[in-house]
Amino acid sequence: MSSFWTDFLRNHKEKKREHNPLELLSRVPFFEEMNLHELKVVEQILHCREYQQGEYIFHQGERGLGMYIIRKGVVAVVSEPDNHELSELKDGDFFGEVALLDDSYRSATVRAKTDCTVFGLFQPDLAALIERDHRLGLKIIMRVARHACQRLRVSNEKIISLSAELALLKNSATSDLK
Amino acid sequence: MSIGSIRHKIHLVTLFTVVILLLGLLYIGRVAEIVIVAALLAYILDPVVTRLERYGVSRAAATTLIMFGIMLLLVVVSCTLVPLAFEQIQSMKHEESLTTVQGVVSLERFLQKFAALFGLHQISLEELLEQLKGGLVKKLPDFLMKDSVSILVGLIMVPFMMFFMLKDVRSFKKYFISLVPNRYFEFTLDLIYKMEQQLGNYLRGQFLDAVVFGVLATATLWALDVPYFLIIGIFAGFANLIPFVGPIVGAFTASIAVIFYQGELVRAIYVLVAFIVLKLIDDLLIQPLAVGKHVNLHPMVIALAILAGGHLFGILGMLLVIPFLGFFKVVLEEGIATYRKYSFD
Repeated sequence: MSSFWTDFLRNHKEKKREHNPLELLSRVPFFEEMNLHELKVVEQILHCREYQQGEYIFHQGERGLGMYIIRKGVVAVVSEPDNHELSELKDGDFFGEVALLDDSYRSATVRAKTDCTVFGLFQPDLAALIERDHRLGLKIIMRVARHACQRLRVSNEKIISLSAELALLKNSATSDLK
Repeated sequence: MSIGSIRHKIHLVTLFTVVILLLGLLYIGRVAEIVIVAALLAYILDPVVTRLERYGVSRAAATTLIMFGIMLLLVVVSCTLVPLAFEQIQSMKHEESLTTVQGVVSLERFLQKFAALFGLHQISLEELLEQLKGGLVKKLPDFLMKDSVSILVGLIMVPFMMFFMLKDVRSFKKYFISLVPNRYFEFTLDLIYKMEQQLGNYLRGQFLDAVVFGVLATATLWALDVPYFLIIGIFAGFANLIPFVGPIVGAFTASIAVIFYQGELVRAIYVLVAFIVLKLIDDLLIQPLAVGKHVNLHPMVIALAILAGGHLFGILGMLLVIPFLGFFKVVLEEGIATYRKYSFD
């Protein structure tokens, strides 16, 4: 009996969460510590889009205008032209955030693996938000920049460890030859 | 047929309907005029509302405040300037035409000397001008009476539409973007943003230029003691929005007023020279500062557009046709530039 109620309540809670975009937004690192009012303001500038299974969200090499947050569904991040799947993202995950900071081109293609609902946050809307609410706009930009820095740091560490591994391999190859 | 293609077709039908509705509005003419004027005013005032939002005021409250501000300004203007303007119009009716006759006679003499070079002798301007003046004074109240209903509708509908355009512009934009198919969605968003930047600066610049030119023209005419300086100055400011024709019309109106009521040809020439100087200041100083980068159009295109605008929508058409040509040019240029950055297949 108690398990029925636990399941019922959990299902109800999950459904409520699924239908409440603010709940989803509060789980995204960029908006984590924002209050309800700020989350509502952010929600107003988001664009809700629906994609069919197999539909492309964007292509590698296209100009990027902003980031997407997955509300529901699964997407694949694919490297072209070999069509190699780099990662799979699901509810609450986000991608393309670097395009919020610069006019760079998309580094990979993103395709919907299932029917998807995503939120899009784009440069023009963020710029307009900064114009009317400096504090909130700056908060978002700072977090996106921090996130990009974090990624850069991780990439640097990877490069350093890979370089070390490569040096080791070179050394062992030279000693083997000797 | 997949759900995706059905949805794509629904989107296309919706867009098609919107385009048909817009074309219908343009065909109706008067409605289009109201929508265009309201949209232009909303566009010009948008940064003011956004600035108010910075102080924590909601969009709705900021729009309401701006509308109240405008109404207050209109009431103040109505109480101060309108009686003065009416007084000036009324005086056209009653003023003794002694100076007029003197002015007309001196102009007539000048023209007769000039015409004699071509073998022409009989020029009677006095009669012609009296007829014109009488006709104008008679026709003005008739025009106001006949068009009073449509003027009243415009006076109510323009602020009404302007209020909602200002308040809900973001929702309208978001809704429009939601209709665009996924494949062209980011491209459309990018295009709208760039168009807004270019067009907003251009329209606000033009408006600022008209206001500054109007104020300068009024001040100059007042300094030169030109009769009806206020009406002519405001008229010259707005007329300046029409390329080529506008400044000439403004200058000639002022000169004719001087000839009519002061009877001095030399003074009329001073007024013409003053307008040339004003136009130079406008071209070299005000326009580059206010409008910045011009929406460059070929003079031939401008001339044809003014003729077409005047033919379709009268004076308002002549005033609005260049901003609209600029709008389409920006749409086309930005559209092509943005399209190249996206790989549509």
